[in-house]
Amino acid sequence: MTLPPVFRAAIGPLRIMMQDRLAVIGLCVLSGIIAMALFAPLLSTHDPRHINEIEDGSVLQRGAEGWELRESLGPLALNDADHHEGESIIVGRGGMGWAREGVGDWVALELPTDVDLHAVALSPEGRALVVGDDSMILLREGATWTQVPAPEVVRLRGVVWLDAASALMVGTGEEIWRLDTATGAITEIDSPVGRGFPLQSVALDVDGTALIVGERGLAVRYDPEDGSATLERLGSSRDLNHIHISEGGAALVVGERGTLLRRESAASGWSADPAPDTRAMRAGWIGDDGQAIAAGRNGLIMEWDGAAWQLVPTESERHLRALLVVGGEMLALGSDRFVSRLLPPSREHWFGTDHLGRDLFSQNVHGSQIALLVGFLGATLVVLIGTNVGLIAGYYRGRTETVLMRTVDVMYGIPFEPFALILVLLFQPSLTIVILAVSLLTWRTVARLIRSQVLSLRERPFVKAARVAGASDLRIMYLHIFPNVLPLVFLELAIIVGVSIIAEATLSFLGLGPPQAISWGGILHDARLSGAWRTAWWWNLPPGILIMTTVLSVFFISRSLEVVANPRLRARQ
Amino acid sequence: MSRQGYLIKRILQAIFSLWIIATILFFLFRMGLPDPTAALVTEGLNAEQRAAIRAQFGLEEPLWRQYVLFLTNAVQGEFGTSFSYRAPVADIVWERLANTMVLMLAAIVLAYAIGVPLGAWLSWRRGSRADTAGIFFGLMFRSAPMFWTGMIAILIFGVGLSILPTSGMRTLPYDADGWWDKILTLDFLWHAVLPVLIVALYYLGSPLLIMRNTMLEVYGEDFIEMARAKGLPERDILYKHAARNALLPVVTQLAVTIGLAAGGQVVVEVVFSWPGLGREILNAVRTSDFPLAQASFLIMAAFVITLNLLVDILYTTLDPRVSFR
Repeated sequence: MTLPPVFRAAIGPLRIMMQDRLAVIGLCVLSGIIAMALFAPLLSTHDPRHINEIEDGSVLQRGAEGWELRESLGPLALNDADHHEGESIIVGRGGMGWAREGVGDWVALELPTDVDLHAVALSPEGRALVVGDDSMILLREGATWTQVPAPEVVRLRGVVWLDAASALMVGTGEEIWRLDTATGAITEIDSPVGRGFPLQSVALDVDGTALIVGERGLAVRYDPEDGSATLERLGSSRDLNHIHISEGGAALVVGERGTLLRRESAASGWSADPAPDTRAMRAGWIGDDGQAIAAGRNGLIMEWDGAAWQLVPTESERHLRALLVVGGEMLALGSDRFVSRLLPPSREHWFGTDHLGRDLFSQNVHGSQIALLVGFLGATLVVLIGTNVGLIAGYYRGRTETVLMRTVDVMYGIPFEPFALILVLLFQPSLTIVILAVSLLTWRTVARLIRSQVLSLRERPFVKAARVAGASDLRIMYLHIFPNVLPLVFLELAIIVGVSIIAEATLSFLGLGPPQAISWGGILHDARLSGAWRTAWWWNLPPGILIMTTVLSVFFISRSLEVVANPRLRARQ
Repeated sequence: MSRQGYLIKRILQAIFSLWIIATILFFLFRMGLPDPTAALVTEGLNAEQRAAIRAQFGLEEPLWRQYVLFLTNAVQGEFGTSFSYRAPVADIVWERLANTMVLMLAAIVLAYAIGVPLGAWLSWRRGSRADTAGIFFGLMFRSAPMFWTGMIAILIFGVGLSILPTSGMRTLPYDADGWWDKILTLDFLWHAVLPVLIVALYYLGSPLLIMRNTMLEVYGEDFIEMARAKGLPERDILYKHAARNALLPVVTQLAVTIGLAAGGQVVVEVVFSWPGLGREILNAVRTSDFPLAQASFLIMAAFVITLNLLVDILYTTLDPRVSFR
């Protein structure tokens, strides 16, 4: 079978390359990375710029030093918890419930609903009430949960047992409902305000009345004796989120913007405490011995040390919604959607996440695009300029050569990296400027190499023959001499692709890469800037390994191209 | 051409190169930073003071007068006062340049001291597993960006094992009378270990591979056959006969490397907080400290050109076959 000469010419070098094991590995790896760049949107598991959030049934426990993260209870946020006589129940989003006896393991409850549950209360008789969205009221008697029908659809936020057979529930439309568990009848109680302010929480006071708190500092006291609901002043107009009253009569109300309202005993008045942090507080707990805890968003936990509230070291991301204190064990529960920052590699995020919760695997996959774009475009530009300058200088000689080669000499006096820095810094980073900065100086090597090759080629008989045959200078240069330097050109191309990729990574690492673009150097820049790189190994390792692998594969290919370009090497290997 | 003629020609060429670079630099800065004093507004300078500085740098003059002023000042070594340091630029730049050179030269010497014998040894064991491994690691360190290897080294030796300092040239605070007093201490050596090692590993690849390849070429020469025929031990043939003759391309590469050494490795200086000239340029341009940026770059270029020139002259002495073209 006869092949066209062009193919036959191409197959020779290819066969030589195929004999070099390292070159074959290089070709395979490089094809893989090119494929990665082309199919980046398909390959990446997340949007590389998206700030990822997750929901988690987080449990924090008070340890000796601070609050420590314990094993999560499922993937859904936990909203409220209550305990009585060693039994504890936690309820959360999506109809999630957990129960345990004593300090045993938490067991998931089979609740007949999947709406979000917001509050739970255990009665002294061992019965339990859970309330939530869509007027969900679940009553447990014995071991069975039954749903209590509600007169209208409201979102219930708090529940408390008034006595053995009746409970009080509050909702976001200023609803105050009294449930008679024997009959299942619900009595709606008129609020003294009646403007639809959301009520968030309710607790039983020592005198048998119930204290309800809600938005805009609203506090309502319900007296089950005469069924009256009266407005109470706590001394705050901020949104109140949670109330807890201890058995001895101490009370704590927490709310937005670090609102902390405390009552030392049933007899004393309410006082607003200065908070060390002004974020929203979602849960409070107070004991009879003066101990008190408040928890809120972003892992915020404060403890009362007898004179002032102190911030306690905790995990800093999760949003806490409930506190559960059983004997000496203290638990803080959450968490609604929180930014998943600096997560180590997991099934969800293969390379972990960065300080903004962005998926690093996707960033690394997308980073290949800029690296290869700058690498190949820059190298093509470099080789194009360098080859032509070398050809012209070597072929024409004389004054042309002097001018061109002096230019190259001058360029050798310019340090590459600082020049690229100045260029990018002076003219604002953009893809064009980065490619220019990478390629503007590098062609000096190519020009020198090609020129020296052309110098010897132009004296060969075939060039003289072409000249005698009347070929023009351009024809001799590009049709006769150029094919003979082509292997050298490809060799230089391969080397400069490697150099350009490193140069782009370097500029990006210094924060001077193409703006808005995701690149491997840029990932390392973020890592260094955030300061987290000293602990988050999953952030540092992949981009560097990818740069190294890409450049290494290009170098492997260039080594076998060297054999093609320089037949003398062929004999000895 | 006579040797003297060659020298004079090379020196004239170097001066010409420097002039071209200074010109490019001047116009680059005028294009990129039309009003360099804009950065001074944040420092609380009012319009009048800014005008004074503009006059001091001759920024109100026509462009060609500015250019002439810039050139005459540069020739006299007068680079003005740094905006951010409030000190003469020249003093800052020379010290930073010395810091860069001590790092680079140490790294280059280390790389060649290890790379040349190792390359010779690899060529002797060509085709073996050690040879493949040598090529692989040589190319690997050449492919890995230095800021990354630097970060990993800091993680391992600085953070993980905490046996080596990871930033600066000395433990702070320290007193030193002059530059040499700062350098000639154990503490400095201790600080230099990691950055020097990282740069050296990067440079190791070229002497290693060049030495190996040239040695392979030399093995084919007749005088090696001759040495073998004489029954010389293989070790002697390798190091005394072959290696000496294979040194020339390595020396050429060394010359080029040293010539460009003043350019430094900006990222290594940044990662290890090494107060070098490259890092100074980066900071200067970032803070729009244009007298410092301009002078740093010009002096760096002058040093590169001078080193190139010296290396060229040395090289002609070393290898008489190089004609005085």
